[in-house]
Amino acid sequence: MSTLLLLAAIGLPLAAALGYATWGWRRRTTAWTGVVTTGLLAVDAIGLATTVTRHGPAHTAAGLLRADALSAWMLLGVAAVALLACWASPAYLASGHTGGRRARWYAVLLHLFIAAMATAVLAGNLGILWVAVEATTIVTAFLVGHDRTRTALEAAWKYVVICSAAIAIAFLGLVLLYYAARHTGLGSEQALDWASLTGHAHQLDPAVTRIAIGLAVLGFGAKAGLVPMHAWLPDAHSQAPAPVSALMSGVLLPVALYAVLRVKAVADPALGTGYVRTLLVILALATLALAALLLIGQRDYKRMLAYSSMEHMGLIALAAAVGSRLAITALLLHMAGHGLAKTVAFLSSGHILHHHTSAQIADVRALAARMPLLAALFGLAVLALLGFPPAALFASELGIARAGTTAGMTWVTAGAFILVAVSFAAIVAHTGRMMLGPAAGTAPQAATTDHPPATFTLTTALPMIAGLLGVAALGIALGPTTDLLHTAATIVGAP
Amino acid sequence: MTDITYPLYLDLAAGLLLLSAIGVLWRRQLAAMINLFAVQGVALAAIVAIIGVHQHSLELALVAAGLGVLRAGVLPHLARRALGNSPAEARETRPVVNVAASLLAAAALTLLAYAVTRPLVALEPSPATAILPAAVTVVLIGFFTLVTRRRALAQVVGFLLLDNGITATAFLAAAGVPLIVELGVSFDLLLVALVLQVLTTRLRSAFGSTDLDELRELHD
Amino acid sequence: MTSPAAFVATAVQVVVVAAGAPLLVGLMRQVHARLAGRAGAGIGQPWRDLRKLLRRQPATPVDTGWPFRTAPLLLMGSSLVLAAVVPLLTTASPLDPAADLFAVVGLLALGTVTLALAALDTGTAFGGMGASREITILALVEPTILIAVFALSARVGSTNLAAIVTATLHDPLRVASPASLLAAAALVIVVVAETGRLPVDNPATHLELTMIHEAMVLEYAGTDLALVEWASSMRLTVLLGLLASLFLPWGIAGPGLAALPLALLVFVVKVAGLGIALSTVEVFIAKLRLFRVPELLAGSLVLALLAVASSFFLA
Repeated sequence: MSTLLLLAAIGLPLAAALGYATWGWRRRTTAWTGVVTTGLLAVDAIGLATTVTRHGPAHTAAGLLRADALSAWMLLGVAAVALLACWASPAYLASGHTGGRRARWYAVLLHLFIAAMATAVLAGNLGILWVAVEATTIVTAFLVGHDRTRTALEAAWKYVVICSAAIAIAFLGLVLLYYAARHTGLGSEQALDWASLTGHAHQLDPAVTRIAIGLAVLGFGAKAGLVPMHAWLPDAHSQAPAPVSALMSGVLLPVALYAVLRVKAVADPALGTGYVRTLLVILALATLALAALLLIGQRDYKRMLAYSSMEHMGLIALAAAVGSRLAITALLLHMAGHGLAKTVAFLSSGHILHHHTSAQIADVRALAARMPLLAALFGLAVLALLGFPPAALFASELGIARAGTTAGMTWVTAGAFILVAVSFAAIVAHTGRMMLGPAAGTAPQAATTDHPPATFTLTTALPMIAGLLGVAALGIALGPTTDLLHTAATIVGAP
Repeated sequence: MTDITYPLYLDLAAGLLLLSAIGVLWRRQLAAMINLFAVQGVALAAIVAIIGVHQHSLELALVAAGLGVLRAGVLPHLARRALGNSPAEARETRPVVNVAASLLAAAALTLLAYAVTRPLVALEPSPATAILPAAVTVVLIGFFTLVTRRRALAQVVGFLLLDNGITATAFLAAAGVPLIVELGVSFDLLLVALVLQVLTTRLRSAFGSTDLDELRELHD
Repeated sequence: MTSPAAFVATAVQVVVVAAGAPLLVGLMRQVHARLAGRAGAGIGQPWRDLRKLLRRQPATPVDTGWPFRTAPLLLMGSSLVLAAVVPLLTTASPLDPAADLFAVVGLLALGTVTLALAALDTGTAFGGMGASREITILALVEPTILIAVFALSARVGSTNLAAIVTATLHDPLRVASPASLLAAAALVIVVVAETGRLPVDNPATHLELTMIHEAMVLEYAGTDLALVEWASSMRLTVLLGLLASLFLPWGIAGPGLAALPLALLVFVVKVAGLGIALSTVEVFIAKLRLFRVPELLAGSLVLALLAVASSFFLA
């Protein structure tokens, strides 16, 4: 049963991609296949979560695919964001007037992307995890460059080059880890298997493991948007189509940090918690500082959202550095909440872009008066991202602060939250400028006669409403996911 | 392979690996860089083949053949297809760090690699691990090329060099990674090369040249 | 070793180098001419030129001082000492204690620097230009030659050239080691740069843009010019011989005179072979533009550094 669940998680998006490749994208019919498969993926994720909570970790394919509570939680996040993105894709493609062939490519690549992320979270072998994360870079390259404009091409180039180089460095780290593991006597198949590695971690040679873990954290961290190899993030997330940005910000970045968490679980018994903690604290604070600085003078609202993603990844990295059970619980909740809220934010920003053709903050005025539904969605999403209750991010940020101070990292946590406050102020200022103001005298710039934008109806808004409800629900009560979350925290969190 | 000739052949192959990396820093013509990368692919396949023969492993020999085909045949072919036809495009004229300084930086990177890989060599001393510094130097030189060159194709060659160095490290340190991971890695590399080739062609048609300095519209 | 045999061997070595150097230059020019489709002037032409020059009166420009007058003598002197010190025919020379790497490099530098000073002394534009170019190349070549031969000496434990050659004789596989091959590559580039051959400098040119060595000797005439040309050809012979001894040492004689005729024959063959190879390659390559020469020399420095690194770290 668990084998079926594991294989279906990857097989469903692959089948969707195959379907789109064969039959193309048609507005009425095939456009909704994606929603069906991601819906099934969500059901599969829930099934996997229940199996794992009841019976413990499940594995198949000779240990290559493995699901424990942490993987199940991540898969739930992937499925939820994927569902929202696929639900919103038909409206986005229609409003952008994307034709048949490009829409087909878009759909095929999108589902391959979801399949790669599902493989990454369900990988039991660090090598397979790496292959899947690299595959996400390859698949999203053309998704980022979907618009074929000069800026999109520039963003795609930077994205592919920087992420591939960073991931190659992570691979070097994994190779050295394999070397150290083989030296302790593990066989070739187990030396990269996560479960075996964590079991034998205390036998790993410290000097070699230190180099290996450092490289792996830097490499996967770059894929998560942590400084110093973050330059691709604002460009890629601002130039990609809105559902793709949503998926990248909402899931891909957390999956990269999930990889860092898995690597940390191997490093801590081998090197003690200090090494990875120091490394992650430095990266987290640097990322938070850079994001805060660059948010202050920001002029493009999609880039603003991208830097907000960097800020949240910095917070998550800080929580990972703290490493206690409470911190990891807060981290996982933050990943889920941020994923949903960012999705809604990007999806609504995509519609704002289609209605105004300009991505500049200065060109969007009085949104609340002219398009109240869209403004409400965007505004609520941004409020959720800023950490207002009842959004899940409120609880998770509180949890991270508490965990940081309890673990003795008070100064670091205080500094981090000061930087978060700076970002908060900047985002509020920019969003306020976009939302507020009188409607009269400010006509939208997009009223071109040959391509009038589709009106923003309630049906178009449904996926975003669902996302906001999800964030609020998570923030109020964990409900059926409580056990899953706590078990997941025990896997990588120190007691 | 006797105990005397095995380190000798391995040293020669590793030397060729390192020299082709330095050659990439030295030459300005993009076509010459691609040829040197192909030579490096041959050297890498030779290293894996020599280790395979020494360990009497058929699997390693087959992996060596596959690596050779991929990195000395397919990838240089893809890179040449991205080369384009105009003579103005054919050379790297103004790298961020000039050639003489790049070569001296390569010497410094060699020494850095030796310093950093001391724990790696000390863990399991053998003729294969003694050459790990050369493989790590190739990684560092690949990264340096990636960062200091302005032409898109030169960046691609730098990335491929980085990957060659990492593969060499994998085989020298631990006789490779598990087969399925190796297959995945090679497949990913092939796809990345394809993606970069397509992007280079699109860059050339959108910007008129592949000078990466032209990409400056996205900034804060 | 101060045995009489050693003295004889060294004397023979000096005479052979002195007599054979112009023949080597003639051979290289003949090969170049034949490959270029010309009949060529014959191997003995440099000797005929030297004879002609020795009969002529030397001319000293006005306002030159002692650097200009003494340079030919110093150059010739240092070349003769080099011919005696470097192990070409025999490894057992009475000047063995002086056959140290640093001494040899110093002698080479001495010759180059005296010529550069003489060129500056003439006060002409060509002289100054040639001297500055030559010193630029020298500055980049000196560290390379030191480091490359040091790489070879690291395994032997001594910087004495004769000791290095003897050690290579005893352990032939050492030539194929990475340190040795890298040092060989670096030294080939050094020899090309030091002796002013293509692609660094064209020995047959008199165009202002391209002269380096020729610019320095432009003001010399008569016996002075004969000495300078002769000394330059002797330096070329010694450097090619050094390459042959370090990397192809088989046939070199040890102490004693018995192996000397064979050593002589082998030396002639090796140096002629290297000269022909160099000349052949010169037909096919163009001279590098002057600002690209530092790139080439930086590359040879990197090769030499890699040679040292590999000789230390590869057991």
